[in-house]
Amino acid sequence: MGLHNGDKMMRYEEWSKLARKASKKSLWMVHFCTGCGAVEMPPVMTSRYDAERFGITSMATPRQADVLLITGYLTVKTLRRVIQVYEQMQSPKYVIAFGSCTINGGMYWDSYNTIKHLEKYIPVDLYIAGCMPRPEGIINAFIKLMKLIDEGKARGWEKYQKYYDRYKENQRRVFNFEIKEEQKEEKNEEH
Amino acid sequence: MKSIELLGKGEEMHGRAYIKLNVNELEEAIKKLKENGFNHFVMLSCIDWLDKGKFELVYHMWNYEEKEHAMLSIDIDRNNAVMKSMSHIFPQIETYEREVHEMYGIKFEGNTRLTPFLLENWPHDPPMRKDFDSKKFVRQMYESIPFIEGEENEGI
Repeated sequence: MGLHNGDKMMRYEEWSKLARKASKKSLWMVHFCTGCGAVEMPPVMTSRYDAERFGITSMATPRQADVLLITGYLTVKTLRRVIQVYEQMQSPKYVIAFGSCTINGGMYWDSYNTIKHLEKYIPVDLYIAGCMPRPEGIINAFIKLMKLIDEGKARGWEKYQKYYDRYKENQRRVFNFEIKEEQKEEKNEEH
Repeated sequence: MKSIELLGKGEEMHGRAYIKLNVNELEEAIKKLKENGFNHFVMLSCIDWLDKGKFELVYHMWNYEEKEHAMLSIDIDRNNAVMKSMSHIFPQIETYEREVHEMYGIKFEGNTRLTPFLLENWPHDPPMRKDFDSKKFVRQMYESIPFIEGEENEGI
């Protein structure tokens, strides 16, 4: 079955709609255990909250997974590994970021080595607020993600392809701790 | 306390022995304590005394028989921060020296492994020094990186 014109053939849009409907029920995740959010994952997965009843299960390698969970603050050194993991995953892929640390730095807002806004370096489809979010919050986020996938709104991976140069430029700057000259001058005048 | 008796100086501080030494006495003191039951090297810590112009290095050692914690403290010059490596006495000191080198910029002579430890590609001043302005650095470094504004429904 190809993508020919004709009423009998389903158009690409309709095929992807069907694919989304199917894939939202089997979200396989790879959780990148940084920070304190990792301790919230075992209760989500095990018998008390039993995330598998929603089709959510953890996967051994990023190449088999659909969802990347960033479970807390990221240092620059860890961010490099996160990006390696993210780029290994197959599209369509989604990112859920946990807690206030990934939103704006959280309690590490003035630290010299933690990144403050995760979405500057990789696209994030969903944030869970809290420090740390409870298992109910995590499951709630997955259900919200399923809804977004169904409606075609979880398109962070397309954004990463579209603005790849800008993401790479941001990543390069943070990996080399590069401060631009005009930034230095501006901020020195304030002091 | 046993360590104070052995070295002939020092004072008790919150249940621990605090022994202030000159730089050239340190090696002998660590060896002497190691021979007398202080066979656990706990850690090496560093304090930046900015107003005095000194770095204080504290070598923590523990005795299992006496249950005694000894802290050997030395001062080195802040502008010429060079210290002799003690890793030939306890091998694990090498790693602590590596961390102190990265965070405070102190050079340890004789340590061949002073490579980047927790920070990668760090071109600025050592971050744990008191004159490193962390908030200013965050403003210049992380807050100057732009957000990537997509169209509607393109994810955050």
